[in-house]
Amino acid sequence: MTTLITKTITKICIPLVSLFSISLLLAGHNNPGGGFIGGVMFASVISLTYVVFGLNYTKSFFNPSWDKLFGAGLLIASLTAFGAILYGNNFFRSSIKFVDIPLYGEIELASATLFDIGVYFVVIGTLLHIFKNVGEDK
Amino acid sequence: MNIQEHLPILVVAIPILMSALMIMLRSRPALQKTLNIIVSASILLMSIILLLQVWNSGIQVYEVGEWGKYGIVLVADLLGSGMVVLSSGISLLALIYSLDYIEGKSLNTTYHSLFNLLVAGLNGTFLTGDIFNMFVFSEILLLSSCGLVVASENGGVTKVSDKMEATFKYLILNIIGSMVMLIAVASLYATMGTLNMADLSVKIATLSDAGTMPWHIYFIALLFIIVFGNKAAIFPLHYWLPDVHPTAPSPISAMLSGVMIKVGAYGILRVYFLVFKDALFLLQPIIILLALITIAIGSIAAVGQKDVKRLLAYSSVSQIGYVFLGIGMGTAYALAASLVYLVNHAIAKSMLFLTSGGIIHHAGTRDMHQMGGMAKSAPLMSSMFLIGAMSIAGLPPLGGFIAKFVLFDAAMLGEYYLPVLIGFAFAVFTIFYMFRAWLLMFWGEARDSKKYGPYPSHGLSPMITVPIIILAAAVLILGVYSEPLIALSSEIANQLLDPQPYINAVLGGSVR
Repeated sequence: MTTLITKTITKICIPLVSLFSISLLLAGHNNPGGGFIGGVMFASVISLTYVVFGLNYTKSFFNPSWDKLFGAGLLIASLTAFGAILYGNNFFRSSIKFVDIPLYGEIELASATLFDIGVYFVVIGTLLHIFKNVGEDK
Repeated sequence: MNIQEHLPILVVAIPILMSALMIMLRSRPALQKTLNIIVSASILLMSIILLLQVWNSGIQVYEVGEWGKYGIVLVADLLGSGMVVLSSGISLLALIYSLDYIEGKSLNTTYHSLFNLLVAGLNGTFLTGDIFNMFVFSEILLLSSCGLVVASENGGVTKVSDKMEATFKYLILNIIGSMVMLIAVASLYATMGTLNMADLSVKIATLSDAGTMPWHIYFIALLFIIVFGNKAAIFPLHYWLPDVHPTAPSPISAMLSGVMIKVGAYGILRVYFLVFKDALFLLQPIIILLALITIAIGSIAAVGQKDVKRLLAYSSVSQIGYVFLGIGMGTAYALAASLVYLVNHAIAKSMLFLTSGGIIHHAGTRDMHQMGGMAKSAPLMSSMFLIGAMSIAGLPPLGGFIAKFVLFDAAMLGEYYLPVLIGFAFAVFTIFYMFRAWLLMFWGEARDSKKYGPYPSHGLSPMITVPIIILAAAVLILGVYSEPLIALSSEIANQLLDPQPYINAVLGGSVR
């Protein structure tokens, strides 16, 4: 798998796919997309790196603990859901706000995005934790 | 909004939050332990407050995300909140027990977060008012319990390969069960266009009154017998249980046998008596028949076992048959009796599994033929096992006697003479196998120390003995002073047979 072609294509893919996954994540709550597929997309490009450049080589410069990311994602998602209780609404009630930014225009801030970010981390953490551990298994 | 109105979601969501926190706190084992015990205790407290609230002011409905009946609705009625109290009580004690019983490495890495997910899954299944959500929570339950079954205990009595084999069976069979549940839920949705159980109940009742009930509703109802029968280990789907419950570490066996198989009984009660109440006449004979075969198979198989935990697992199969017998008879008294039976069995069986953990710890083996004469070296375990065995066998001052008494009384009043006869015959079997086990382990000569070595007794810490003693006290109290439980169960049975208050609470009396 370590031909020049795959290496070059992977190098091109990494920034494109990770940016696209983030754009899917942010589009999630009212357009096609969301935390889950964004996360899967991001995990796929990292696992492509693992396959093409080799797990050991990749780990020598890029080795986050994916299980921590999983925990953090679950924490963000559940805290978002709890946040509604603090504001006196029911659990999981989402809130939305439109903010005007000078020179850019109106942007939409939704609490559903925070939940989606949590899901994004959970998916990335789970998939890559499994992928890395299975890869390390002798 | 008052914080008390949030209780139904808090008992589900706090364990999920904790399970995330426990992953982050992996490097701080002491903090994990204290935090987890505090959280479990507070969930028990919250569930008791919830039950009292429901008892005093009627069914509580909580709309998650404020979407009304189109979103996820949590409904705390007496059955649901009562089951939550039962499961949080047992899980608190099992958690305290496991802190000393489970091996350090597996305790610190995955045990705490999976245990919290298990609690969340249990509470969610008991409280949800949405049938698809019930499927989701039972998946959470299944997957987290798979992870817990492979957790290794101190001393390593059970081989890892055995655990893997048992978990594989458990996972595959229960995933097939979940598939069946998904098919059933999907066909229900395709037919009725809703997933809310109260809404389903109203729509099916309307169709049934008009005489236009689609024929496949009956088949969907039959599919749910497979789903919940598989969860509760009812014959012909009982065979995974005697492999899984013995190989799990003892506190998890206590959770599995004490609470998780009751999810099946709960599901039957909730789905059949709320949604499919017009198809019940067709289902009740089937449930009674399957329950009787389950009773017979479980007790006959338990007689021949030499592994103490396997014996207890077969005994669970047989005892859940009695619970289903009561459900199948379906009168208010019989339902109350089966709920009394369910609670008594949950407490006594989880206590017996915890005790068996202590016995295994003491003897270093699970084989009863390699034990003997332990009454002298382990007096506490011996008396606790005797209390549990007497309760399961149904001997007087203990909870099991009351449970069997009301169940048989209800069956006699309902003129189910043959089921009573069969149930009674196998109750005698129960006495035989429980006391055979007790005699093999605790009476007679101590085992041949040349052949098997002396007991590697190193005493039991209070973390292990105190939960057992608390459960034993509960068994005794339920036997001597059982009126509150019977009153609660009768009230639950009345609520089950008349689902109108439930429907009114969820749908608010108006179409939205």
